[in-house]
Amino acid sequence: MGKTIRKSTMEALGLGTVSAIFNNGKLPVSLEEMVDKVFGDKNNRGAMVISGAGGIVGAGKVMQFASRLMDYNVPIIALDLPGAPDGIAKQYKGLQASFGADGANNIMKNIIKLNYDGQTLPQSLKQYNPKFLLEAIPERLELKKAHYALFKKEYPEIHIWSVTSGFPSKELGVGIAHPAFPHEINKVFEIVEDSTSAQTHLLWAMGLIPMQVSDDWSFVLDVFFCGLLQASIQFCNRTNTPYWKADKYIRQILGPNPFRAHDVIGAKGANFLTWSCLYHLGKEYGALFEPTGELTERKDSGQNWYPANHFRPLVNWQLDEEESEELKSIVYGALIQMTTIMLHEKRTDLSTMTAIGELCAQFTNGIPAFIRKIGSQQALEYVNKYHQLVPKAAQTTWYPETLQNLNTPEWQQLYVNAEHDGTHGFITISRESYNYDVNEELNRAIDWLHSEGIKKVVLTSDFHFSTQMVGADTTEFFVAVNDSHIGEKISSDWSKTARRFYHEFETSIGFVNGKRCMGGMLELMMHCQYLIAPDYVKFAMPEVTLPVIPGMEGCHWVLRKTNTDNHSKMLEMLLHGQQINARQALGFLVDSSGTMNDCLAMTKNILENGDTALPKRKIIENAIPHIASEIEKIKWSENPQILSAQKEIAGCVIASCSATADEALQIQAKVSAQFMSGQLFRKGKIGIEYDKFSKN
Amino acid sequence: MKQVKSLAQEARIPYGTWGASYFPAWQSSPLAEVNIGQFAGEAMARILSKRKVSTSHLDYLMIGSTVPWHFKFWNATVVANCMGRRIPGFHVEQACATGLQTVVLAAMQVQSGASEAVGVLTFDRTSDSPASVFPERRAYRRTEVISDVWDNFGFDPSTEHAMITSAGNVARKHKIERKEIDELTAYRYQQYFEGKEKGFLDKVAMPLEILNVQGKSMGIINEDVGVRKISLDSLRAMRDLDTCVTSGTQTHAADGMATLLVTTADKAKEISTKPEINISFVAKTEVRVLPSSMPEAPALAVKKLLIQTGLTMDDMVVVKDHNPFAVNDAVFSKVMNYDWKKMNNNGSPLVWGHPQGPTLTRVIIEALEEAVELGGGYVLVFGCAAGDVGIASIFKVN
Repeated sequence: MGKTIRKSTMEALGLGTVSAIFNNGKLPVSLEEMVDKVFGDKNNRGAMVISGAGGIVGAGKVMQFASRLMDYNVPIIALDLPGAPDGIAKQYKGLQASFGADGANNIMKNIIKLNYDGQTLPQSLKQYNPKFLLEAIPERLELKKAHYALFKKEYPEIHIWSVTSGFPSKELGVGIAHPAFPHEINKVFEIVEDSTSAQTHLLWAMGLIPMQVSDDWSFVLDVFFCGLLQASIQFCNRTNTPYWKADKYIRQILGPNPFRAHDVIGAKGANFLTWSCLYHLGKEYGALFEPTGELTERKDSGQNWYPANHFRPLVNWQLDEEESEELKSIVYGALIQMTTIMLHEKRTDLSTMTAIGELCAQFTNGIPAFIRKIGSQQALEYVNKYHQLVPKAAQTTWYPETLQNLNTPEWQQLYVNAEHDGTHGFITISRESYNYDVNEELNRAIDWLHSEGIKKVVLTSDFHFSTQMVGADTTEFFVAVNDSHIGEKISSDWSKTARRFYHEFETSIGFVNGKRCMGGMLELMMHCQYLIAPDYVKFAMPEVTLPVIPGMEGCHWVLRKTNTDNHSKMLEMLLHGQQINARQALGFLVDSSGTMNDCLAMTKNILENGDTALPKRKIIENAIPHIASEIEKIKWSENPQILSAQKEIAGCVIASCSATADEALQIQAKVSAQFMSGQLFRKGKIGIEYDKFSKN
Repeated sequence: MKQVKSLAQEARIPYGTWGASYFPAWQSSPLAEVNIGQFAGEAMARILSKRKVSTSHLDYLMIGSTVPWHFKFWNATVVANCMGRRIPGFHVEQACATGLQTVVLAAMQVQSGASEAVGVLTFDRTSDSPASVFPERRAYRRTEVISDVWDNFGFDPSTEHAMITSAGNVARKHKIERKEIDELTAYRYQQYFEGKEKGFLDKVAMPLEILNVQGKSMGIINEDVGVRKISLDSLRAMRDLDTCVTSGTQTHAADGMATLLVTTADKAKEISTKPEINISFVAKTEVRVLPSSMPEAPALAVKKLLIQTGLTMDDMVVVKDHNPFAVNDAVFSKVMNYDWKKMNNNGSPLVWGHPQGPTLTRVIIEALEEAVELGGGYVLVFGCAAGDVGIASIFKVN
């Protein structure tokens, strides 16, 4: 009988559980299948129409769908008014960068630009047999409704989604797929529909991230991001802090730069959208959301938030302790109050809410994760303090009781879920980068499986939010820059968690289902007794390029599992940072690869038959001899900075391989932590990022 | 306290809603390299922030400056933008009288009912000067290029004399002796450093960090850079540039800004850090004296103001002036029969410098702070201005 710590987010999409994927040996739906379902079979293929295709959202979505549906012969009709600016041509450079010139040309070939007058549809549209309309026209309710009526009249069977950023589905009369910025690359869509449609499954099968949310004014992302801007303006208004400076502090405490983001997106459009979202929320929920005068002014003028170049700031602005507390109270207080409203309305589950904040609003930690970290009492105190500072916000009803019990599995397992079928356990990670929360949740998930008597486990990403495993969340190490003891503790704690997969289960399999697995995430996965990945998965240890020193045993763990002949391949990965695919990594890093279905089948086979299915590679517990001489054979970089990083990593490899496995954990943690207090780290990408982040 | 009818009964200066940058001398600070209008706007926002006053209270901005700055054409509106508010306003300019004149005009703006809260923001950069090019058909060169600050200080077109000449003229006329001037100057320095040591300056001026275009710090301006203690002996050793004028007994070029708010009585109570303190406007006057006699003008303005109000020097709890020359104070003392030791406590422009636009604003702020320390009373603020003008005003602190 299957059991889960909490409900899997895939289940909300009607796609079943992760354990079902492994037990069935296949994904719940395939792209071929969903394309046939949505657009008709290949002999009778219909088209996708994106209206308002010249705009920022429309053009981005044209790119996203065109590149993913290119191989399936689905024409992408880009529909807009004749005078609309051409947002599609602007995307060509990005396409070239991602797909090369030929790939970009092929994608563009499948995009058919059509004009219409807003009143009637072009006759030529008929020949393409439109099946699916993604509407991205301006945010005017009556305009949108007339637009749908026009399509419904001509194509009664067409499925219509709006990308609206504010109107509920019940107002529009169609489903909603609300996308996140930047539209050409952000995979997240907040979906509003009565029941899960084939179109939603199509998105999932395309590798996009549909998330089910309820039908309310505005969306989770917009409440967070527009709410953040609202609170930030309130802070600036009270304290005169210039927007550029508030941005810097908000980035430190939360992650995003709300003001710069508006300028970068294009102040005119972004200010309007934010205003529109807050205006409608204000009408629905009251003063908490009512747009400030400053936003209204910028909505009308399209003026940027940051000063013009000729007025680059002259007077610096350091917040003192009292001002910093005020900023936290206003920003945190507002977001927590807004979160309680969304929780009360059950807009979506906590994991989804967390993921939307991180993947779309650029929060370092999603708001539920933040609330969990500070606890209910502190969260409520922030809201109360916010109401003292901005009294009108208190006029809007909020729901403190939604924060009363943070010990439920839903609150405790925001990023890591676990399921089992009675025999086999499945731990899934929905966060792309490893951080403190993931580490804690992983430990709880392992403990839970133990308590359920599960001895065989698959560690994988969640087949939903996490489409790749990019490594450790480097911002987690910023606290360690000035104190290597903290860094050492983080590294050793994380390594100990990773080792639990090697030591505490009869069988453990790391299964990579996203497109890449790198750095800290790869270090975690390599601790499983088996590592399995489809051929297309890319692996890399890019630390040398940043530079940092791998802190979760990447410098010795695989070398202890691999025969001497293969050492050079792992050393190449460590010292050059280049990507290799799963097939290339077979034998030293990866234990089995093939198609997705091959990999699922092999995983099932190992779970059921253990060593008989595939011999397990054990680590050498003693020191590994000759590693220094093997390193000597590696070609060193001519770039002085890379060379220095190579030498440091090589030193760590030698030190950790020359010790026993037990000793190596602490050695590597120490070397990794100490590196971050050095000059080489500070001159690198993460060091520079740290300086930008921490200096005011 | 005698009761006198106020020139702007509705207007108040909310206590504590003021401040200034320090005034670095000459080119001794990053301020010598910045757009001073932009700096002033940004600094005003920061100062008010520290005073817990949101600029959202302001509905009007009066700026006062005398030296052209980049984008000056856009007047108060561009400075307001740099402060973070799109509010209207205008620019006031009356040489060294600018600071006082702007404050009085702000009071009239409130009195007229046109505004509820007016920001007064005065600033200048006299350590350096833009060069202006004028087509001038009557000049033999046909085109005149002047350094706006120094060429004007050196030549009053109405009298054809330099500013410094007027100080010499007045010293001779009133038979002022060099000995008194040196002693007076030494005393003014002593007053400044006594005020500084007891922390008085902290109530007036605020440290500000200046950024370059890359956003990197160019330094923090946290004192009147270049102002050093000076001994009577060293003052005595200086050579005369004109009668009773040496490099030590006159002020020096400086850069900076000063700001205060003028509001309705209700608004003052709402935003003041000490709403129980009531600061109102009593009277203001101006005179113009004989050609090239500028340092004499303030004394005559004060004389006129006292007649106008019926008040006497004995009614004043604080007396403070803009004294670009020590001669100003000596002449004032003689004309008004008032001991110069009783005035200019905690500092004066003779010592902390002369950025022009904000000079008298800082004098007002210092005078009002001193009056509050002393428990209130009438405050006399006065000074001279280019063109042989004297300006004087009385405030009342309850």
